[in-house]
Amino acid sequence: MALDLSMPILVVDDYQTMVRIIRNLLKQLGFEEVDDASDGTAALARLKSRKYGLVISDWNMEPMTGYELLRHVRADESLRTTPFIMVTAESKTENVIAAKKAGVNNYIVKPFNAATLKSKIEAVCGA
Amino acid sequence: MLFARKTRDSAPERPSPAVIHELVEIAEYISHLRQEIAALRANEITRDRIPMAHEELGNVLEATAGATNRIMASAEEMLSLPEDADYRVNVEAKIYEIFEACAFQDITGQRISKVVEALRQLELRLARFANAVKARDESGVDPSEADRRGRAERLLLNGPQIGGPATSQDDIDALFA
Repeated sequence: MALDLSMPILVVDDYQTMVRIIRNLLKQLGFEEVDDASDGTAALARLKSRKYGLVISDWNMEPMTGYELLRHVRADESLRTTPFIMVTAESKTENVIAAKKAGVNNYIVKPFNAATLKSKIEAVCGA
Repeated sequence: MLFARKTRDSAPERPSPAVIHELVEIAEYISHLRQEIAALRANEITRDRIPMAHEELGNVLEATAGATNRIMASAEEMLSLPEDADYRVNVEAKIYEIFEACAFQDITGQRISKVVEALRQLELRLARFANAVKARDESGVDPSEADRRGRAERLLLNGPQIGGPATSQDDIDALFA
């Protein structure tokens, strides 16, 4: 199954530079419909207003972290199947396992390149 | 009457040599402590060095963000340049903008060096003071910090590891295989 390049993607990160990097990488991969949010609370509001094909979220954000956002998404009947990739600079095994238990579909360690992002999107969105 | 006479007649009790010796030691210790506190120059630290470190780090943050934005803007503009006769000239112009933006590293390096030096001074003075007063750390956590730390430990990560990720991307991939 080929990737649906028209699917809207939500990028959640409190660093605008990182949002811009991910946006450009997604653009390079052919995705044009990219929205962003600066933390979990803002992301939840966006997720309720539009159907996204994928969420790419940082972990460390305030007031709502990416981990909390993930738990909210998985607990919400209308959002629970939305593919979710965590992107973070920290990668202790226990945190990766915690995210996996909470229902994350994949986990990327920063810094990363377009090829890594592409392979994870393909793995999660079923290319 | 009897009491009054007795009080008037009796001389004040002289402290024992052991007590005098102990009081002298306490006085010497207090004097030493005052010298060590003065050497700590706490006012200078809080008035000059810490605010300087805040300001320098704030400037570093601003400079790196500004440079990153300039570099990314140039790269984005390069990607959308029309492939006409001026393409090479226009690409070169954008590349030179990127070179110019990279000059931030020299300035931020100098700013960070100043902060490192301030921290080194602080460390030296605190170590000397702790050694002089034989300080021992109080156990437990400051109550005002407890909530913040608790939340950070439960929900936030500690940021990038020094020397690379704690778990490699390959190992993480294996967990999701």
